[in-house]
Amino acid sequence: MEIFHNLYIGFVVAVHPVNVMYCFIGVILGTLIGVLPGIGPVATIAMLLPITFNLNPVAALIMLAGIYYGAQYGGSTTAILVNIPGESSSVVTCLDGYQMARQGRAGPALAIAALGSFFAGCVATLIIAVAAPPLAEVALKFGPAEYFSLMVFGLVAATVLAHGSLIKAIAMVLLGLLLGLVGTDVNSGVLRFTFGVPELSDGIGFVIVAMGMFGTAEIIANLELKDQREIFTSKVTHLYPTKQDLKDSWAAVLRGTALGSMLGILPGGGALLASFGAYTLEKKVSKHPERFGKGAIEGVAGPESANNAGAQTSFIPMLTLGIPSNAVMALMIGALMIQGIAPGPQVMNEKPELFWGLIASMWVGNLMLVVLNLPLIGMWVKLLTVPYRYLYPSILVFMAIGVFSLSNNAFDVLIMAVFGVLGYICVKLECEPAPMILGFILGPLMEENLRRAMLLSRGDPFVFVSPNKPISLAFLVASAILLVIVAMPAIRKKREEVFVEEG
Amino acid sequence: MLALCASTVALPQDWPSRPVHLVVPYAPGGPVDLSARLIAPKLQQALGQPVVVENKPGAGGNIGADFVAKSSPDGHTLVMGAIATHAINPALYPKLAYDPVRDFRHIALLVQVPNVLVVNNELPARSVAELVALAKRQPGKLDFASGSTGSTGHLAGELFKQMTGTELVHVPYKGSAPAVADLLAGRVHLMFDNLASAAPNIQAGKLRALAVTTVRRSSFLPELPTLDESGLKGFEMTTWWGLMAPAKTPQPVVDRISQEALRAIESPDLRERWRAMGSELPGVRTPAEFTAFVERERKLYAELVKRSGATVD
Repeated sequence: MEIFHNLYIGFVVAVHPVNVMYCFIGVILGTLIGVLPGIGPVATIAMLLPITFNLNPVAALIMLAGIYYGAQYGGSTTAILVNIPGESSSVVTCLDGYQMARQGRAGPALAIAALGSFFAGCVATLIIAVAAPPLAEVALKFGPAEYFSLMVFGLVAATVLAHGSLIKAIAMVLLGLLLGLVGTDVNSGVLRFTFGVPELSDGIGFVIVAMGMFGTAEIIANLELKDQREIFTSKVTHLYPTKQDLKDSWAAVLRGTALGSMLGILPGGGALLASFGAYTLEKKVSKHPERFGKGAIEGVAGPESANNAGAQTSFIPMLTLGIPSNAVMALMIGALMIQGIAPGPQVMNEKPELFWGLIASMWVGNLMLVVLNLPLIGMWVKLLTVPYRYLYPSILVFMAIGVFSLSNNAFDVLIMAVFGVLGYICVKLECEPAPMILGFILGPLMEENLRRAMLLSRGDPFVFVSPNKPISLAFLVASAILLVIVAMPAIRKKREEVFVEEG
Repeated sequence: MLALCASTVALPQDWPSRPVHLVVPYAPGGPVDLSARLIAPKLQQALGQPVVVENKPGAGGNIGADFVAKSSPDGHTLVMGAIATHAINPALYPKLAYDPVRDFRHIALLVQVPNVLVVNNELPARSVAELVALAKRQPGKLDFASGSTGSTGHLAGELFKQMTGTELVHVPYKGSAPAVADLLAGRVHLMFDNLASAAPNIQAGKLRALAVTTVRRSSFLPELPTLDESGLKGFEMTTWWGLMAPAKTPQPVVDRISQEALRAIESPDLRERWRAMGSELPGVRTPAEFTAFVERERKLYAELVKRSGATVD
């Protein structure tokens, strides 16, 4: 079997002591920056780029990859402990993870995030090893029409994210869509809602919005609580998941891994959808959807597995086509190009030790991460016992540094503050930020792909449902079905209300 | 005090007295950023002060360029000024806050990379002449992709349309990566892409290269003809960038950095890295030549942008 031979080549490279060391440095750095809110892998890898110029390319790539998926592990930590998503992908983890922490179950939440991520990482790595080239072909099947229909599906599913009022959730999605319009229109170059501020011409950064809506807003809201706010730290019962927790989450981990692996392959924003998609899926299949948003462990296990699986499979378009699916991948391509290696279809044949070494190192790295993260849980949970007046100002400072570092611009910090106030107002009005964030992510992508599809079809709207675009058609049909399912309970309730009144 | 320094002719005694900031007006990871990070250690060694690369992305590079235009001209703030910030954007953005010629000292042109005309493999055109014939047979049917409105890829396409009298439809993307994906899948037909990023797919036979946009052939793909020799006489477009500083930076400082920068890119190791990016050694050698070059490019693109009808407003 060729695959075993390839993996053998890979492991020989990956367990070489020097490479193990760089892998370790990578995952440690990744975990750290993942934990620090706002400071993401992009800034870190950019700073480390000059160092990699003098390394051998395999070691360099292994380290950079370690930073990337290490950050996915670390990003969930602050989401669970203090409701601040360390990474874009951990926004959904806030929903139930933070509630678990408030119930004194931060330990199990962190542990299940780590274990789920480990499982997902292993499976996704295997998928890359076995099927990278054919999967890259699948990724190419997604054109503007397919992406648009996928986004429609995602948006319909978004309403499920809310656990309160459906109307408010829809309103928040729409608000997110509107905010997503800010910036330069891709097709015409027209500046929209920028008010002459050049900083707004590329739109508002996702991390900035997430930090403000979740982090800053949470800190403001906590100020009201005065004495009660430290109570939940004292009820920590156990650090590791119980048998019941594991029983509740294993299926969620499997589903999250499958969904994340699939979406991660798509270079056009697929990975971003993974954690949102997994959360939606868990809530839909759960027998007790009312537990979601109140500390359901599946709501942590599913999305965390999905985002880690997606992080791994998003390497596929880069390794096989040379197409970066996000900013981190673009950086890695840059690092390789400087080494005289251009990632693309030929890397697998011409540099098998690089290709397979990287894949095998992902296994090694994931193992390191789980070994590293499980013992750290105790320490993270202890962090919550730090008095509020010390903990939260320091978090605020880190957030400000992180947001500043995105483009070395103080304007972004101001925007975060504005969104903090907006987030606080939303807390008061019981409007949840998660649907807004999803609308904010999907809106621009949807518009961009809709208009591109129309441009390519020369204005024929049937391009989305034409039989020679089966993927697009399938997503639109699925959206329609989902819409009916979502609307049905509402309709039924209305009818019941009517009956009650009549009776 | 600073003004006093600026007026003296000799190299200011206290320069460089603190770390030199090299502003990259783009996000990390792109070719401009990479070359900045490659040259920074060389300059640091030569100048005896840390040279710190600082990314200030946004508004097509205008935010970073404007920041440096308004920085104090003491030789401690430099910028990687590029074809976008200093030749195209002034024509594209009607309300640009800086003047690319008057507000800067142009120190050293560092990189010049050709674009390459690539087509999808299924397209029955094996040469530029065949492509032009194909486009003329079906006007308005062929799509050309680009990384954004007003990018070199877009403007190269517009120039191509004008010189050949063909009708192609421009399909802008957010960055060249998704554009290449659709080109590979055959949803768009052709593209003027950066040579280094297109090369792997060309060499793997996944995309067909027809010509480079420079007048001279690229040493990277020497067998590939130029557009100029393929019947589009005088077609020349090169993506370029180099070191610049605020307008009042003292001449001796400019000269010193210019010498050190040129020495750096001629060193064997950077030559090797430059080659990997598809860059030739630039022919522009002095700050004065660089200023003249920027002026020329600016005029060229002002006209091209106007004729293409592209604008960001």
